Order: sequence, then C-alpha cells, then structure tokens
Amino acid sequence: MASRIKTNAEKYIVCPFCSLHCDDILSKSDGKKYSISSEASKVSEANKTCLKKIESFNINAKSILTPTIKNKKANLSSALKYTRQILKKQKDAIIVNHGIDVSGVRSMLNFALNYNCSIDHINSKFLYQNIGIVQRTGYMATSLTETKNRGDVIIVFGNNILCKTPRLIEKVLIPSNSLCTNAKNKKIIFIGEFPDKLLKNLSKKYNISYIKTKIDYIPDLLNLLSDIGSIKIPNISKALVTKIKPIISKSKYLVATWSASDFINSKNPDKIIQAISQFILDRNKISRAACMPISGSLGDTTSSQTLTWLTGFPSRIKYAHGSFVHDRNIYNNEIIIDKKNTDVVIHISSLSPNKIKINENLKNIFIGHPNSKFTSQPDVFIPVGIPGIDYEGIMFRTDNVVSVALKKIRAINLPTTKEILDELT
Amino acid sequence: MNIKLESGNIFDPQNNIFNKKMDLYIADGKIISKKNIKGKINKIINCSNKIVMPGAIDMHTHIGGGKVNIARLMLEDFHIENNKNFDSSSIIAPSTIKTGLKYIEMGYTTCFEPALLPVNARQAHSEMADIPFIDKGGYALLGNDDFFLDLLRKKASQSMINDYVAFILNATQSIGIKVVNPGGINAFKFNQRALNVDEKSKYYNITPRDIISKLTQSIYDLGIAHPLHVHCSNLGIPGNYLSTIETIKAANSLPIHLTHIQFHSYGNNGDKAFSSASVEISNFLNKIPNLTCDVGQIMFGQTVTMSGDSMSQYRNHNHAHPKKWMCMDIECDAGCGIVPFKYKDKSFVNALQWVIGLEIFLLAEDPWKIFLTTDHPNGAPFTSYPHLIKLLMDRSFRNDILKQLPKSIRDHSILHTLKREYSLNEIAIMTRAAPARILGLQNKGNFSEGSDADITIYDKNNKDIENMFAHPIMVLKDGKVVVENGKVKNYLWGKTQTIKPEYDASIEKVLNKFFDRYHTMKLDNYIITESEMSNLIGSEIVTNKCKYERKQ
Ligand code: SF4
Ligand SMILES: [Zn+2]
Repeated sequence: MASRIKTNAEKYIVCPFCSLHCDDILSKSDGKKYSISSEASKVSEANKTCLKKIESFNINAKSILTPTIKNKKANLSSALKYTRQILKKQKDAIIVNHGIDVSGVRSMLNFALNYNCSIDHINSKFLYQNIGIVQRTGYMATSLTETKNRGDVIIVFGNNILCKTPRLIEKVLIPSNSLCTNAKNKKIIFIGEFPDKLLKNLSKKYNISYIKTKIDYIPDLLNLLSDIGSIKIPNISKALVTKIKPIISKSKYLVATWSASDFINSKNPDKIIQAISQFILDRNKISRAACMPISGSLGDTTSSQTLTWLTGFPSRIKYAHGSFVHDRNIYNNEIIIDKKNTDVVIHISSLSPNKIKINENLKNIFIGHPNSKFTSQPDVFIPVGIPGIDYEGIMFRTDNVVSVALKKIRAINLPTTKEILDELT
Repeated sequence: MNIKLESGNIFDPQNNIFNKKMDLYIADGKIISKKNIKGKINKIINCSNKIVMPGAIDMHTHIGGGKVNIARLMLEDFHIENNKNFDSSSIIAPSTIKTGLKYIEMGYTTCFEPALLPVNARQAHSEMADIPFIDKGGYALLGNDDFFLDLLRKKASQSMINDYVAFILNATQSIGIKVVNPGGINAFKFNQRALNVDEKSKYYNITPRDIISKLTQSIYDLGIAHPLHVHCSNLGIPGNYLSTIETIKAANSLPIHLTHIQFHSYGNNGDKAFSSASVEISNFLNKIPNLTCDVGQIMFGQTVTMSGDSMSQYRNHNHAHPKKWMCMDIECDAGCGIVPFKYKDKSFVNALQWVIGLEIFLLAEDPWKIFLTTDHPNGAPFTSYPHLIKLLMDRSFRNDILKQLPKSIRDHSILHTLKREYSLNEIAIMTRAAPARILGLQNKGNFSEGSDADITIYDKNNKDIENMFAHPIMVLKDGKVVVENGKVKNYLWGKTQTIKPEYDASIEKVLNKFFDRYHTMKLDNYIITESEMSNLIGSEIVTNKCKYERKQ
C-alpha cells in the first residue's frame, strides 16, 4: 500500500481499539482535541470506519471529566475517600475488567491482593473457548505476520469477525505485499454465515469462496472437506465441496482464523474450535497449516497474558489465605453478580464506551473512560485516561506473541487506571 | 549503609580465593575494601562456620516470554502443588513471582532467559520485570528470521550483518545472541522436516553452517562478551553428536557456546540404536579453547519442554505427557513448541539421557568451560540444582541412583567407571565466576571491589550438600538482606543486563522498508527504548561494555 509523507505536525499512534492494534495511523492534536488519518494514500472503507471510530473517543458534550458520587459531581480526593469507605466495608468484592493495558492489570492484581478480592474479565467465556484447545489437546498456531507473508489459503470461520477487526483483510489476509507467496494469488474461503453484502463487495476485489452454512455444521463440513465420512449437510452441494477441496489440498501454508465470540450461539462452541484445530493438525501431516484465533477488543489478550505470568492463571482468580487461587466457575463474574455472591463490584473500563450493565442491588465503583455509559448510575464514577490516547502503555495483540507500545496523543489531565488503583491500594 | 560479613569461609574463584577465612565489606550495595570504608559499620553479620559465595548465576533458564506463558496456561492442571507461596502455580511452569521466590531462596541472584524472540522481547522483558529479587537478561534469537536469511541469500557483507546483529541487541535490550536449530525453524515453515548442518534450506538455499559462521564472526567482530549461544541442529536425534561436532567446526575457531549439550550428545550404537557420545563431545570441549557449554541435565519426573525449535518439538509431539502440545510459527522471526514431558527412570532412553548429562559434567576438565543447567524446565525445573550438585559431588549417591536404572544402560555408557567428585571450589566456579565471565558481567560472580554485593551464605555445618545448597541461611541482593534464616524477608526488584554495540544507522533504513512492506507493525514499535524499559516495562537496565572496539 503506497504511503503518503507524514507531516511534522502528525504523530503515529497505535490503535488501542481492537486486537489488531494497527500502528500505521496518524494523529494530529492541539493537546485536547485530536484528528486521525491514515498513512495510506488511498484509504480503504474498512480503514475509514476505524478512523471514525478512533475520532469518536474525542471529548464531547456528554463526556464525564470529573468524578461523580451518586451521580453528583465531586472532586477526585472526595471520590477516592468515598471509594475507600466502600472498600473498607467490603467482604467479597470483585473486579470486572472491561479493558485495560498491562500497567492496569498489574495494579489490579495488587489491589486484589490488598482487599482479598476476585478478578474476572468480561470476555472470559470466549477466552476459555480458545484456551480450551490449549488445555485439552494443544494446537498449531501462527501469527499475523506469518499469515501475511506465508499464508496462501486462508479459511475464515464465523459470521461477524470482520466487523470486530475491520482491517484484518487488508492488513493480514490479503495484503498488498507478501514475502514468500504471491499476495495476488491468495485464496480466502469463508465458512459460516457472513453478511451477503460484505462478501459481495469483497468478491469484487479478492479471490474468495464462500460456503454458507450454519455454524454448528462446521465440524461436519470439515470432515467432508477431508474425505472423512459422507454426512449430508443442508444446502451444501457436492459440487461446492468438490470445488473447495483442491484449493485446500494444494495449499502450502493454510491458515484457519475465527473469533470465538462468533460461535456463542452455537450448541457446542468447543466442538467447533476443536474440529478446526484437528483439521489443521491433519493438514500438517503433509503440508503446513496453522490456526490464528482472533481475540476480543476489550484487552482480552492483555489481561489473560499478564495475569497468567503473574499468577499462573489467565482469569477468574481470587486472593485468599495468602495465595492467589483460581476457579473458573466460582469466580465467573456473571454468576457472582447475578447470584449476589459479592457486595462491591469494581468495574474497570478504559477502552470502550459501550454501555455496561450495572446491578443496582450491589455497590458499584466504576473506573472508566470519560465517554463511558452504564445502564444505571454507579455509586462512584472516576474518569480515567484511555491508554494509547491519554497515556503510554503496553497491550497485547490477538496473536499473543506481539505486544505494542501505545502512545500518548492528548493531554486532558485525567489520571490513569493504574494511578487510581494504586492510590486505593 | 556499611555492612561487615565477619570471618566467613570465602569462595571467590575470580580472585583465586578458595575457602579462605576472611571478612567482607559492603557499602551502598557494592563490595568495598576495608580501607575505603567511610563512616562506621552499621551492621555486622557473623559468618563464622558459614560458606560465603557470590550469588549464583543461571545462564540458561526459560523464565519469561511467550512460550513460558503458554506452558503456564497449558499446564493449569499442575498448578495446585505448592499452594501457599503467593499463588498456586507449579514449579514446572511457575508464575514470575514464584520464579523469583524460588530462585532467591536457593541463593541465585542473576538469571538469563536464553530464547528472547526479538518480536516478543517486550513481553519477555515485561514478564522478567515482574520477577522479584533477581537481575535478569536475555539472548535475542536470530538465524531463522526471514530478514537475516534474506541478507545471507543476497550475500550481504559481514559488516552489514554486524550492523543488523548490533541493531537487534540494542532494539531488544539483550545481552547476547542465540541461534536455535540454525535455519531449521524457518525451513519448517516451508514444510522441511529436518535440516542437517550442511543441508541447504529449500527456500533460502542456505545451510546451518553458513548461519553459524556468519553469526560467530559477527559476535566476535562486535566485541560481544557472550559467544554465540547455539542450540544445535537435530536436537534429540540418535547420532546427533556428529552434527554437534560439525556445528563446533562451523565457528571456525571463534568463540561458541553450545547450550543443553546433553540433548546433542547422542550416539546411535548398540541394539537400541541410542548410545552415549559424551566422550566424543567432551574431547572437543577439552581440546578447543573457545568452546563452552551448559549441560541441560535431565531429572526424572514431570516437566514441560519449551523451545524455539518448532521443527524438533513438532517431531517430538507424540511423546507429550500429558497428551497435549502446541507449536507456533512466529512473525517471520522464529517459532516455538511446548510439549509437556515426563522423564521416567525405567525408560532406557530417559535413563541414558540422565547418564549422558552427568558424564559430560564429569569428563569436562575445566570447570570454567561448563555450566550447571537443566535448561529449566526442559530437563527439569531449576529447583533441582541442589540435587544435581549432590550428584556431582557425591559419587556413592550418584551410583546408588545409577543402580536403580535399567541394567542395559551400562553397556551404552561409562558413568559407572567415572570416579570424579566435584569440589566446592569447582561448584563455585561453574555456578558463579564462570557464568559471570562468559557473559562479560564484570560486577557479578566475584567479590572484587565495586562488584554488586549479591551474596549467598550457606551453613558449613550442614553435612547434606543438597540441603545446604537448597537452603542458604542468608542471601543478600545489592547489599540488602532478602533471605534470612532461609525465609524471604523483603521484596526488591533487580535490573536488566544488556549490551549496546555500535551500528551504522543505515541498517534501520533497510529495516524500515522491510517492516513497512512485510511486517504487521512498524519498526519504531518493534524497538524497545531505554525509557520504555524503565517506564512501561518496569525494569532499569545496566549496560555492560563490549570487550573491545568493533572490528568491522
Ligand atoms: S483494525 Fe482494529 S486496531 Fe486497526 S485501526 Fe481498526 S480498530 Fe484500530
Ligand atoms: Zn533452553
């Protein structure tokens, strides 16, 4: 992709808003307000969507820049004082992580250690689906740059994955340049239920095939493609299978990609991921192939990586009797909050303004970014900066192996999540 | 703060001091001579009947980075033992906090992660920054990255290669360069399943020998203290001692360090086509001045193997115990493989591996050239070091275990004939002074004036050598008491040891283009700066000097 020349007033940023963490985006800022543009001389539709999204994190009339106590404005020290009072009385607090950088996770752990509380990430259920294969059988994996440069055939499973990582296609699956394959000859096979319009548009530009089928049929379909069994799958013609098979069998480096959250409405998400993984393992007996799961956009990978090295467990832990312990059922935030097995919920949300559910029957402390939205008012709200916009930080990319150094592009004088948590610890 | 360690039995091999009763002084975290102390002594520590050594140094231990974290995740079912110590992670894949606790309790004060993938350096350093107590460092992996192989294919000049190597050391905040299965990890991505020392990779048309020659030359030219750290071709394959010998030759007499040599010293004689080639390998070690190695001793029991060598790990995945494993191709940079494994004393192969490691230790004539490692956790977790020391120091203890192994072992090995017992002096050399020297750490592993006051104090009256090494009574890090009466007292955080050779910045222009075309991140984002190390990653760095000015 041809790049334009970066002007002196511009600065590269690392986008914190999905697990691809693109770093080819330029920002201009007067300190408070910023604008975003692409370094590409021709900006794709996907990229435009992203740029708009990033700009939407600018401060607006609805942004909350001062802390509130019971929806009334308060200064930071009284908000902290009030929070400490709540924490003093807590017996079973839980931290629910809706997205934060490495420094925030580290501080979260200290906080939990200090207050004997549990930690969970809002997307843990998807995390456990992907970790499930690691813990049951293991698998063959690959990363974004390998896929970009070596992948000649890529199978995309799911329905919504391209909306979650808008630039996956242009940056990774079918890039302008590939080191060891001809980028122009790359073939993509979509399997699942993708928006027809999206695929229609893609097929104008790229060499794609589509097997439209319900997510639950993926395991059977992979068997058909591997000549195992001859189960009939509704609406899948023999001709289509015959057309796809040689594409796969000729592949030199096949990549399977999916986002676990796409499988959430299926009967058995674990079975689907296991089937994909097995399909890839079998391929490796003759050729090369690998999986590249795409994680969620709420710092899912950052949270699981950091907690894993600090405690041995990726999520759902609690500090009790002098040690961090783990139980993926007991420390599940949804269950804990629904069953009110907690008295205080500490929401931490520095990346997304998506509306967050507040259980009014519990005390709620909300440490979140200024454009945060909630279903009802928390007891305390403390606005904090967004990593990668307001302060520097480290986050992990979807493929786990790469972490990026986020930059600071504006100065609106908000504290970081780490600072607030450390202050409370 | 001035501290006096009074009348201990001092072991300081670097200064030729062995078991000499004397006092030691510390001021502001450094060793100082008595005459230079200013002000009064604030604290006297009675060391009579105590053995006093510099803090131990582990020069090869997998303690941080992507593959370590995958192992932690994969082996969750083992994370129940050792419950009470900060978290319930198991010692075969300990959390960073537990890693620090266990090392410092054993008197280890500096450790090196040997497989730091440049593209994964930020993670490896972030993990290591969260290991308390110890100083740490990493060896950056090269020799399987597409950029480097492309340089070789294009016949780039040695000086350009040197620029790249120096750039990588700077950009990844590392102290050495390691190559794993030279070219093999890359070839595996093109579906090659084996690569011998003189075999050309299909895509780049380059042999492992070419890679070793260029990289050893580069390390030498740049004046990097630590020789090229090499994980040879053909790991674990019977008969691989021949490719190990060829790898040694590929260095053209320049310094080279062969890691976990035990896994690369296998013959293929006998009815099982698997035998010890420790004699052949030791002959080279004893003969060639610039060759060093660490052993990678195995111990019987459950562990997990983790390696950058995806080609070998994939080949071995059928041996996984429990039955799960993972391999990964990484960012046109390298790869990794994680395979849990249980070494069984009833297995002929595993028993012979145990024997071969010990043979190599015992046949090595110069303790300055051989290092005590289990390639944690590949051969065994690092907590088995005290046991390993006892095996080396106590022949009857060793022979008792040997007797319990399959009888056929005797026909394929010579361990039962070896009478040698290591002395305390030799243990002090191989676990302190020698690793400091081979890594160019002037301020570590010795008690010279100005050196870091990292000190381990053992009970001389403890007659069980394993117990003595497992439980030092006191450990000081940077002059602060962190372990007292065998218990951890204060948390403190060590620094990261690095080296920063010079390079011509024009290499960054070439790399910039390569990154913009082929990578999925910018070169700027790949580089880790000093300020990022301290502000975001969370570890101060120490920059060690090159041995001499760059030669070309
Ligand atoms: S694809 Fe994701 S990381 Fe890249 S610019 Fe869009 S939202 Fe940001
Ligand atoms: Zn190793």
